[in-house]
This record gives sequence, C-alpha cells and structure tokens, in this order.
Amino acid sequence: MAEHETHEFDVIVIGAGGAGLRAAIEAQAQGARTAIICKSLLGKAHTVMAEGGVAAALGTVYSEDNWEVHFRDTMRGGKMLNNWRMARIHAQEAPERVLELEDWGALFDRTEEGRILQRDFGGHRYARLAHVGDRTGLEMIRILQQKAVAMDIDVFMETTIVRLLKDGDRIAGAFGYRRESGKFVEFKSPAVVLATGGVGKAYKVTSNSWEYTGDGHALGLWAGADLIDMEFVQFHPTGMVWPPSVMGILVTEGVRGDGGILRNGSDERFMFGYIPEMFRAETADDEEEADRWYTDRKGARRPPDLLPRDEVARAIVAEIKEGRGTPHGGVYLDIASRRDPEYITRRLPGMYHQFKELADVDITKEPMEVGPTCHYMMGGLKVDAETAAATVDGLFAAGEVAGGMHGANRLGGNSLSDLLVFGCRAGRGAADYARAVDVRPEASANQTEEVAREALEPFERTDGENPYLLQQRLQDKMQALVGIIRVEDELKKGLDALGELKQRAGRVTAEGNRLYNPGWHLALDLRSLLATSEAIALAALERKESRGAQTREDFPQTDPELGKINIVLRMKNGEPYVDRSPLEPLPQDLRSVVERSL
Amino acid sequence: MSVRIRILRFDPSQDERPWWGAYEADVEPTERVLDALHYVKWYRDSSLALRRSCAHGICGSDAMIINGVNLLACKVMIRDLEQPIVIEPIRGLPVIRDLVVDMEPFFAGYKEVKPWLIVDEDEKEPPRERIQSQEDRERYDDTTKCILCAACTTSCPIYWADGKYVGPAAIVNAHRFIFDSRDRGGRERLEILSGKGGAFKCRTAFNCTDACPRGIKVTLAIQEVKRAALYDSV
Repeated sequence: MAEHETHEFDVIVIGAGGAGLRAAIEAQAQGARTAIICKSLLGKAHTVMAEGGVAAALGTVYSEDNWEVHFRDTMRGGKMLNNWRMARIHAQEAPERVLELEDWGALFDRTEEGRILQRDFGGHRYARLAHVGDRTGLEMIRILQQKAVAMDIDVFMETTIVRLLKDGDRIAGAFGYRRESGKFVEFKSPAVVLATGGVGKAYKVTSNSWEYTGDGHALGLWAGADLIDMEFVQFHPTGMVWPPSVMGILVTEGVRGDGGILRNGSDERFMFGYIPEMFRAETADDEEEADRWYTDRKGARRPPDLLPRDEVARAIVAEIKEGRGTPHGGVYLDIASRRDPEYITRRLPGMYHQFKELADVDITKEPMEVGPTCHYMMGGLKVDAETAAATVDGLFAAGEVAGGMHGANRLGGNSLSDLLVFGCRAGRGAADYARAVDVRPEASANQTEEVAREALEPFERTDGENPYLLQQRLQDKMQALVGIIRVEDELKKGLDALGELKQRAGRVTAEGNRLYNPGWHLALDLRSLLATSEAIALAALERKESRGAQTREDFPQTDPELGKINIVLRMKNGEPYVDRSPLEPLPQDLRSVVERSL
Repeated sequence: MSVRIRILRFDPSQDERPWWGAYEADVEPTERVLDALHYVKWYRDSSLALRRSCAHGICGSDAMIINGVNLLACKVMIRDLEQPIVIEPIRGLPVIRDLVVDMEPFFAGYKEVKPWLIVDEDEKEPPRERIQSQEDRERYDDTTKCILCAACTTSCPIYWADGKYVGPAAIVNAHRFIFDSRDRGGRERLEILSGKGGAFKCRTAFNCTDACPRGIKVTLAIQEVKRAALYDSV
C-alpha cells in the first residue's frame, strides 16, 4: 500500500462532542499527549442540538435537592437496570462538572440572586436542569471547544476513523481517512477514547444529526469489546410531525417543564390515564392538582406530562393508535393557552423560531403537533464506572457510546451531565493507562493495508449499489420492524432485512474520486450503521419483556428475572454473538435511597 | 413538484475552473434547500460535495449562497425562493470542492481574539458558584448565539478584499467575552481588535447582520467593540 500519514499520541479521542472534548481536556491536563479526531468541523457535534439543559443537583432553586435524590430519580427512570456505580458517580460529580463549566465561562440563565437557574424536566423530583434558554448544548460545546483551543490540543477535523488497530489483545491506535483529501491517516496510540455518540440515523424519524451512524459502537464491537443494553433506544415523546421534511426534529421537554401540556385530537389531557404504578404516589391525578404544581411545588404533585420519556412516548403512541391523534398523526403540545407570549419567547426562543420558520406555526398562539422521534441510544460499550475503561485493554468510552449509566431509559438532562462526568473520567482513565504502559503497542502493517484496501473497494465497482438508497431502506426497516413497539416476528424480519442489506452494502459504489466525496463517506459509514442496527435488533429479540424503552407487544409485562441481567453483544468468529451478564446487585443503603418516597 | 437548481461545481483535481451544473429535484414546496440538494446527491450525482450535520440550523455546517444571499440550506424553504435556485459556495474562503470551503482561515481569525474566559490568576481556584446578575448576563446574551457558520464573515466585502481582517464572526466571539462581567481579558482583546486586522476595518455595510441565521445584531456588536476600544471602557 502507498505511504500514509502517521501520528503518535498517548491518548486519542474519537469524537468532539461534549464527552470527547471533556475527555481530551482532562487527558491533556493529566500530561498525556492528546489528539481529538472528529468527522465534522470542530464545534458541529451532535451535542449542539441539546436544548433543555444539564442535570445536576446544585440545589440553587430547591435546596432540598442533593445527589441522593438525583441518583434515586436516575435509577427509577432507568427502571433499575442502570449500572448503579455509574449512576452514583454521575449524581455526585455532576454539580462539580457544571460549576467547572461555569468557571470556564459558560453562560447560564440566572435566578434573581444571580445563581445558576434550574428548570423542571421529566422524572426529576426537583427543578434540576441548569440551562441557557433552549440552547444549552450549543453553549456547552462552545465553552469546551474554546477550552480545548486555549489548551492547544491537536485537533484532526473532518477525519473519520474506520477501524481501531490492535497489537494482540491491546489497542494500538486507529486508522482512518481525511475527508478533504480522501487520504489515509494512522494514529499510533496506546489509549483510545471512543466518544462518538449514537446511531439515530438508523431510523427514519429521528432528532439526530446526519453524522449519527453508530461508528463508535461498531468500532468497539469490531475491536472485541462488549456492548450492553443495545435494545434500549430512546424515542423522545415530542418531535415535530409536520411538514414531512422536518418530521422528527426535536421539541424540547423544556416546553412541558415550563408549563406546556399534552392533549389528544379530542382535546383531552390524556396523560392522566397513563400513570404507571411506580410513579403513582408522586404524580398528580387530576388537572387541578397538576396545574397547581407549577406554583405550589410542595403542596401538589407533578403533572403526568412530566413522567419519564418512555412513559410519555408510549402514551402518545397508544393515543394515536386508538384514533385519537391530530390531523397530521401526532398529539398536541400546548403552551400557547397556558403561558403569555413574552414568557414563551423568552424561555423557548429556539422553539418559537423553529416552528415559525419550519412549520409556519406560532407557538404563542396555537398548539404544536408532536409525536415520538428516535433520540438517544442507552446502550453502548460496557465500561468500568471509575475509569470508563471498556473490556479491551487501552479502549475507553464515554457519553452516548458507553452503556450502563442510563439503564433502560434516560432522563432528560442526564445526557449532558453524563458527557461531562464520564468524559472527564475517561480522559483521566486513558491518561493513567497510557502512562503505565511500558512497551508501546505496535499495530502490524497488514492491519492497515487490509483496512485501506477494503475502504477503497467502493471505487472499484462501477455498477454497484447506491449508498443513499441503502441507508433509506435501512431507516425504513428499522423504523417499521425494530421501532418503538416490538414483536418477535417483526424483529426477525428486521434481522433478515439487515442481513440482506449487509450483502448489498458489500457491493456499494462510490462515484468519482476521493476528494471530499460524501457518497464514499456514507459507503463506509453504512458498515457501522448496519453493525449497530443488527446489535439493536438482536438485543431487542433477546429481552423478552417490556421495560423502559423496550416495549414488546408479545411480552407486555416486566420480568423481575430480566431486571437482574444485561444483554451483551460481542463478536464471535466474525459474527455478533448474544450473551447475558448479571447486574451487580444494588447495596442496601442505596436501595433505601431509591425506594424513598419524596 | 419539480424544482430547477443550478449549482456551482468545482473539483480542483480535474476542473480548470468552476462550472454550473443544472439539475431538477422532485421536492415539496415546504421542503428546504438542503432536501433539494440531497435529492440531487441521492438520485442525480452522488459526487456533489456539501457539508451538513444537524439539518435544522444549530450546527452551522451548511452556509451557502442561495440566490445571491448567504443562508443555511437547512433553514430556507423551497416555496420562498425564485427558480432556478442558484447555489454557490460562500465567498472569501478557498473552495475545497463544490460547496465545501476551507474553514481554516475562518477558525484562525476566531482563535486570534482569544475566545475563552480570561480570569485573574488568584481567581483560579476549585470550581465554585459565581454570581452573575440577570442584567450582567443579558449584556452578552446575543453574541453567545453564534453557531460559527461563517455566513456573516463571508458576506463581508472587507473580508473578501482584505486577507488580514479577522472578520465579523471573530469579533462577535470576542464581544461575547469582552462584555461578560466575569472576564478580565477585555483589554487584551481590545488591543488585538484595535490592530490592523481588527474591528476598525469594519465599514458598517450591515451585510453580516443581514446574513446571520441566528438574528445576532452583528454590526451592533462590532460597533460596541469599537466604542469600547476607543474609550477604553467596557
């Protein structure tokens, strides 16, 4: 193979969203020679799309809040399937990470006393989300990006990693190409942090960016790492449903936190009919109490509109299925009749403009039409809670690509805090690991040659498959067969379809040359999309129960036995293999925290 | 409906000069220019190069000239445009291929103004909560909305002509810190922005303000920076 560019580092971080940037900042601060490698330009990562806020028990609005309550809410929201060690670290360290962000210059909305303002979100007992209007993710990325620039961390923008390199059982680096030139590049590094985000572009209706193709999940899987919880794909209850071209774009949960309510096509506040046993004691059961809660947090219980996302999404699907949807097949989200226009445009400026420009709807005058949209991947690499180390030596994972933190369902706001807490820990874990390495690992030349040859194959075919049409078909199949409501027969059909698509993806064509060629980029991304989609379908088939984001029509009940295990995916003889591993039991002191009624 | 689109194409590895590609796209009036470009890529010519990521105006990847105006392709609807829709790469930055430009000079200008919070050495303690009043916070709210899409900078005639000018986006990002009550680096930045490539290059053409997809009052921000530099006050 022709010469390719090579670089040596102690730690490389793949992905420049919140987790990747935070990991790189920490690794560099720990003295490791660190590089960030990202597919897009710096600052364009998916994190910018996060709207509502970052969850941390700062207690600025409700002094009753503390890490134990945050931990309790997170575990209950995750249907007790969370890695409790991660959930505990997360709840304990989130406040420090948020204050650190403020220290680095982040803008936050403020209370009248000038403290960081916190807003209400689903599943959180107290107003807990530190935020900037509805552009919290954008501000977070900008601050982290600026910190990385100030620290002079090496950044390889628009560089896509296609394979992790190994020396025996250890990680030895990563191999990829530069989008601009199409030329290959090798990074030699004993420690690699995956911070690649999720896989939302496997679905047709999604709030996720075009770059969300499950790269890190697939890179980890191919490198021999274990993935857990892959069956848990979060469908956010409120995405736009009209017009079709904007279907799926996120409508922040902050709309409901700030007073918005859900109604069906017959104008009924249907959420009162969907309060599950687990949340009954803390949820208002009539409209009067629910409305009173906004001004009387102590005397009234929370409205059911603010139940965790899995509950709300399922309720919306049920209403639409029963024929009580809106004209465009959603439900109404109404804040217009409940808050004055000045309040709405001040608290939710992004939503106001989004609906005005994209749907010609004035949300201060009319209700929005919304429906579930693919939003977040709970599953990912199995990691050690303390160090974020994956199950392959030298590999670390943080953020959406890591599994365990959120269990079967993530609470809103817990993603941005997860990125900060575990991004920081992964950076430190990777730097510590790299420092302790005696002999630097060395990947064999034939590994890179093989990867390079495979990567160029799409150019050699003249009459192969169109990568865009394959991606569309994948999205259609995943949406229809491995979507919100699942059943064995459909999951099996989904796996058959994925098998066929894998064959066809092996015959995909890239037209033209290697210079900034998005058709070729997708041809390569398709492989990770397919590998990650297959892991989702296999895990969904294996978990024969309904829990959190996994809703099985054929197994509608929760099975206590399955509450004790994670479904695990790993490669075996070149094929994905489904296994189970027991969850570490929750210690008694933490169990009593979780069972506390508040 | 069928929509006519003309796209300025350029592949430096094989084209001597840019050329106009003419395409028809089958899209709805309520779809956006990005959807039409996707149509062209998916069904007509997959080699068409463009950047896009979030696809609804937050990541700032797809700024381009659409019918003569700098816009984000993901935020402008087909029904609001005259046909043929004419699409060119943003101006003032080298074209890598088709609608993809080299953003390095843009980021270099951004870095020049030290876009990070500068605090006094004795303030560098473990993170603690700092108080900032709602009024102080409001002071720089507008300029924190920037998505670094380069629509403002590449609409500026001074930027086109003068390679030294840092451009509107860099000044917007400096403004964001100069007017932050927690920042102590105002003087340092104002010194940079009083220099040759700084804010006084601006001739208030207002192109930047018109171009900003986030509605930031860019020209006003630049004027505030100029005033602060002149009167040495923030």
